[in-house]
Amino acid sequence: MKSNLMRIVGRLLILTMLALPFQTVQAGMIGTDQIAASGGAAMQRANLLGTMSRPDVASQLQSLGVDPASAKARVDAMTDAEVQSLAGKLGALPAGADSSGWGWAILIALVIWAWYSYR
Amino acid sequence: MTSCRLRDVRRLAGVLAAAVALGGCSMMLPQTTALQDHRPAQLPDRVALDGVPFVPQDENLCGPAALKMAMASADTEVMLGDLKREVFVPGRQGSLQAEMLAAPRRHGLVSYQLAPRLEDVLREVSTGTPVIVLQDYGVWPVKVWHYAVVVGYDYPKHEVVLNSGLKQGMRMPIAVLEYLWKQSDYWAMVAVPPQRIPATAHEAAYVDAVAALEKAGGLKPARIAYQTALDRWPDDLKATVGLANAAYELGDLAQAEAVLRPAVERHPDSAILLNNLAQVLSDLKRDPEALKVIDRAAALGGDFSDAVQQTRRHIVARMQSAATAVKN
Repeated sequence: MKSNLMRIVGRLLILTMLALPFQTVQAGMIGTDQIAASGGAAMQRANLLGTMSRPDVASQLQSLGVDPASAKARVDAMTDAEVQSLAGKLGALPAGADSSGWGWAILIALVIWAWYSYR
Repeated sequence: MTSCRLRDVRRLAGVLAAAVALGGCSMMLPQTTALQDHRPAQLPDRVALDGVPFVPQDENLCGPAALKMAMASADTEVMLGDLKREVFVPGRQGSLQAEMLAAPRRHGLVSYQLAPRLEDVLREVSTGTPVIVLQDYGVWPVKVWHYAVVVGYDYPKHEVVLNSGLKQGMRMPIAVLEYLWKQSDYWAMVAVPPQRIPATAHEAAYVDAVAALEKAGGLKPARIAYQTALDRWPDDLKATVGLANAAYELGDLAQAEAVLRPAVERHPDSAILLNNLAQVLSDLKRDPEALKVIDRAAALGGDFSDAVQQTRRHIVARMQSAATAVKN
């Protein structure tokens, strides 16, 4: 009984260890991104944070109306640095949308342009 | 729509901004000034990328529309609906920069973020690549972000040509472009096929862009793009590792070996190259050879010594089990 429980716990531990995404030591090929990672502590930290933030960013996308499967695929296509740039900021970062009601900016810009042309 | 509710605020802000603008134009638009004062070398007078198909945007879908135009000119046809699923964020009614960069990778293209320079935008356009720029049409404190595609310019007239929103071939003074563009810290990107390096690309940034494609799962196009990078920059370590890794992942051990063999002589201090070559040789069932290579890697020490030791143990174990198999 007890040994069964121990075995299950042990297996769970092994599974969680294997699932740790930022495990850097593994047999076999060393990944291409490891070259940048060894480039500096700051870079390494950003990569690590980016890796850890992936589930967060995916769930933030979901809370903004993206369906779960799409959210995961979208995060998978990003680099660690891109994920890190989004983490916790999805509500505030620029989101390019329409250009209606752009009259004022254009007007100001045209004034500046006129100044330029005649200077 | 925020643009309606805040009309009065914006009117006031507009007047203020105009006053500020007139006070310090050359400070406000440094790149336009520089471009006027100094003509970039070998930049053609005027360029029009007529081959870029125009995609009018639906409401708030300038991101997907801009991507579709850029990707079509890289010979990659994607449905607008698919791009919407890949970049549009309903809760923001718009598309984020990181996702604009990520989406082309899912279709085998290299996304490259340009240096924040007007001159680089014109150079890309002059070599046939349309450029997506992020503009702010709002007036402080309101932001109205919008993606447009630069598809041409006329240097003597100081104009750029944009596909933007519902307007095809819209002509805009360069000063106006800079005014609208600089709020995004001059954010601009291109999407190119893996056989072609953007005209303004720098070695490290381009190879990073290819590594991003590899990581996003585009192994086949990444393999082509790493090769393209190595044709231009034969000494690039990251492109070498990347090419071998992509080939390895695709099951082409012969190419992985062919890339790594000469590379370990070119970069004798790279434990990564030696480790990966040893792994490839071991997978090719040439463990004694692999052991020699991994011992060279072990002698270097450094950041990757744990991974190297692991690979070494793996090779030794394979040799032992092979020896046992022979005995039996």
